[in-house]
Order: sequence, then structure tokens, then C-alpha cells
Amino acid sequence: MSATREAVLTKKPIPWGMIGSYVILVFFAVLYAGPLLMLVNTALKTMPMFMKDATGLATEFHVQNFVDAWNKASFPKYLLNTVLYTVSATAIYILTAIFVAFPIARGYVKYSGALLTLFVIALFLPPALIPQFQLILGLGLYNNPIGYIMLFIVNPIGIVILVNYIKTVPKELDEAAALDGCGYFRFVLEIVTPLIKPAIATVVVLHAIGIWNEIIAPTIYLTNKDYYPITRGLIVFQGVYGSNWPTLAAAVLMLTFPMLILFLFLQRYIISGLTAGSVKG
Amino acid sequence: MTTYHFGRGRARWVPYLLLLPGIFFYVLIALGPSMATAVYSFTDATGLKGAPVHWVGLDNYKEFLFMGQASKDNFAALERTLVFCFFVTTIQFGLGLFIAVLINQNLKGRNIFRTLYFMPVILGAVIQGLIWSLFLFPIGGPMARVLEFFGTRSEFLGGQPSEAFAWVIAIQIWANMGTTMIIFLSGLQTIPTELYEAVRIDGANSWQVFQNVTWPLLTPSVNTNLTLNIIGSLQAWQLFLVLLGYRNGTQVLGYLIYATGFGQTSGSVTSSFRQGYAAAASIILFLLVLVIGMAVQTILRRREVRIMG
Repeated sequence: MSATREAVLTKKPIPWGMIGSYVILVFFAVLYAGPLLMLVNTALKTMPMFMKDATGLATEFHVQNFVDAWNKASFPKYLLNTVLYTVSATAIYILTAIFVAFPIARGYVKYSGALLTLFVIALFLPPALIPQFQLILGLGLYNNPIGYIMLFIVNPIGIVILVNYIKTVPKELDEAAALDGCGYFRFVLEIVTPLIKPAIATVVVLHAIGIWNEIIAPTIYLTNKDYYPITRGLIVFQGVYGSNWPTLAAAVLMLTFPMLILFLFLQRYIISGLTAGSVKG
Repeated sequence: MTTYHFGRGRARWVPYLLLLPGIFFYVLIALGPSMATAVYSFTDATGLKGAPVHWVGLDNYKEFLFMGQASKDNFAALERTLVFCFFVTTIQFGLGLFIAVLINQNLKGRNIFRTLYFMPVILGAVIQGLIWSLFLFPIGGPMARVLEFFGTRSEFLGGQPSEAFAWVIAIQIWANMGTTMIIFLSGLQTIPTELYEAVRIDGANSWQVFQNVTWPLLTPSVNTNLTLNIIGSLQAWQLFLVLLGYRNGTQVLGYLIYATGFGQTSGSVTSSFRQGYAAAASIILFLLVLVIGMAVQTILRRREVRIMG
């Protein structure tokens, strides 16, 4: 009796907590990876194979789905549009944002505090959907790539993130640079910008993902097919080839795969953007 | 104002000049239109260029709230928005916290799990929606197979409105749980390990550790997540657009605003470009978000004072 008891006490206990944790985490991992694996599997099949057995494993690689999707979905054109919208809107935004955030963070302009508040309240105001549309319509920029890009050159959260980060850059730097004869414009672009790179990366990534994935704005503002971004293109493609899942899956996969690769590299910037300001002290 | 080192006189205007474009765009594209929503809600504006706009007072609000079948549909959408918000917030919050606590243990492969759960966040509504439409393929799709195993079947997104609606809730949670988890994880990492060790030595079990250390010290992330989840889910409707379209019995307020403002025809539901009316609906949604948001903020702040002192 006492011998067995001792044996139990000295033996390492079974880590039930750990095992339980793994079981739960693996269960959810299946829920997250499952839909993606199904996508890959479907994209590799022919339509008859899919109809016969939707979940059966693909036995061979049918590159035809990808070729069809690439051509029929006007994939290259829409993808190029998306890249164009994302890059130009993000570039304009970040350039203007740096010159808004820097003087506010430093107090180099009057009413800096009030200006910052102006950006913070945007998060609590009514949706701008309707008047924004009237504005674009009034400017004659409806169904126009320039009007579309214009919608995405503001982002108040990004300003707040930049201001908070610039505050960590020592002010003595400004004085020293000015004494060396460096002008304001050059100082901000050539000295401040490299110092706040992590914050810029975070804001750029968050902003760019938002534009890249946008589906409502293209539905509202762009009627000409030549201007569609890839998200809208996929929805149209789904409308036409909705029952042809292998081809549709190939189209979705061609867009998903590069994004997942990119995600692995950009993950930490996205995370720091999402958690910025959420944890006090 | 702090001392400015980059010159005086005319040179002093440089930061103002460079600040101007950003402020201008912001007021023109975001702040101005946002405020103008209230103004538009009192007019009969349409989405057509050059069409005359008249002041109609409170007509849009009266119609939205009190007139015939449409107002009944509006209230149904309002109720659905609240139901959506309730389920998405509670489940996403609970699940996000639970998973974050699990991942925060010293487990092997924790980074893989974290990355996997967070992945949908980057994919966006269109890809999320299309991936799930395939996963929920009713004829022999993976989820249909699972149900088959349990001896049941479902049309999923094509089934009864209430069933389709429930699936959108599930997919919304699947898509955004990662954000909640990440915010909780960053909160968990600010809790000093010595604190855990101290209560462990006092003989506390896992639940007591969570109750007395983790939960109170997680207050800032709890507040952030609750606020983000509530406001986000009250306004979310992109997945409805991708997964269901404008379908009777499934509309939430955000989608209704879009459909009345920009025209949307689907089955028996037809709507026009009534932008004044849609603006009134936007204001009603805004007030809903405001009231719920402020109530939650007050409760959270009181709780924070009680816990953190």
C-alpha cells in the first residue's frame, strides 16, 4: 500500500492540463486549416470529380483550373488594378500622414491637442457612406479610378499610431539638426522617417490590407469592368461560374496563396498595429 | 507650443503648409461627409446626379420607424443586428480569451497555432466568404460530411434564413477571433510571471490563478476587446454581402443602409437609390452604436476603478 503510494508520488504526474490544451488547440486548428485545405483540394480537381465526390482527395494536378481562372476571371487586369489602387492610395496617405503626425506630436503647430482630437473623434462619428458618395458624384469622379483612390487617402487611426510613436523620438534631435542647418522638410523626410520605420510599417500594412480587401467601395463606385479590383472581380466570377467550384477555387487560391506568404512576413506589423494603445502601461 | 528650431518668419509657416494636405483630405473625405450624414437624413436626396434635393424634415425617420411593412422589416433588421452583435461579441470574446490563455502556456508549437488562428484576418471578407461557401457545399462538402456522420443534413447558407444567419455569425467569429486573441495575448504578456509563481506557492489551483491574477490584470485588454467587438459587430455586414446577398430574413442594419442607398435587387426585395432615407437609417445605426457603446464604457470604467483602484 505505502509502496504504491510512494511510487505514485515520485512518478511524474500525467500532464492532463497540457494534453487537454493540445486537444482543444488542434480541434480549432482543424477548423482554421480545414477550409483552406478544402480550397486547395478542390482547385486540383476536375468538375466531374468534384460533383462525384466533393471531399475526396485529388489524385492528380489539374493545372487547367488555374489557366481557366486566370483567363476567364480577367485575373491579371483586376490584380493590376488592385495593386495600383493599393500602392498609390497608401503612398499618398503615408506621405501626408507623416507631415500631419510630426508637428502634432511635437507641438510645432498651434492647437496640436485639438487637432489630434479631431482625428480621434472620427472613430465615433456616423458612417460617411452617403455624403461621401454625393461628394464623389459632385466632383464628377464616380466610376473613375482617381475618385476611387481618393476614398482611401485618409485613415485617422494611423495618425494616432504615428503621433504616439514620434513622441518616443528625442526632441534634442530637432535642435541639433536645425543647428546643422537642416531644414524642416528635409529633417522630417530624411531623419525622422527612418527613425519611426516600425510605426510606418505598421500603418502602411494595416492601411494597405484594408484597401486590398475592400469590397463595398468597388461595388458602389466602380461600374466599369475595366476598373474592377480583384475582390469585385472574384464576386462577379462567382456569379458567373458559381457552380464550377474547381475553377472558382483555383481563382480564390491564386489570390489567397500570395497573401498568406506575405502575411507570414508582415504578421508582426499587423499585430503591433492591432495592439497599439490597447494595453495601458 | 514647443520651441521651433527650424527658422522664423516665413520659415515658421512650413510645418503648417505641409500639414495642410493631410488635414484637408481628412476633412473633405472623412470628417465632413460623416457629419453631413445628419444633414442628408433630413432630405430626399437620391443617388442621381443633378436630381433636385428637397428638405423633408423628419419624414425619413417617421417612415423608417412607423410606416407599414417597411418599418416592420426595419425593426426586424434592427433586432437581427442586436442578435448578431450579442452572439458575435460574447462567443468571440470568450473564445478569444480562452484560446489566448491556452496559447500563453509554455506549449510547443504555440506560434503555429497563433499564426493559424490569426490568418483569416488578413484574407478579408471576400476570400473568407468564398472559402466558407465551398466548405459548406451542401452536396458532399466537408461540413455536410460531418453532419452526415451525425445522421443529419443541412442546406447551410441556402437553407432557412435563421440557419443561414447563424452560419454568418459562426463565420464572422471564425474570421475575427484572431484579433481578439492577439489583443488578449499581448495583455497576458504584461502580467509578471512572479505574480503567478507567488499565488501558485500559496496553493492556488488553475481556476483560482485565473480568477485572482489573470482576469483582474487583463482589464485593459478586456475593455479594448469588448468595445471593439461590440462596435465592430454592430456595423459589420460584408460577410452577409458575400455569403448570402440581400436576402429576406437575414438583413442587418448596415446592409439595409447600403441597399436602400445604392439600390439592390434580390428575389422579392427591391430597393432604390433613396440616399436621404439611407442617411436617416445611418443615423439610427449610429445612435444605436453610441448608446450601447457609452453604456458599455461606463460599466467598464466603473469596473476598472473597482479593480485597479
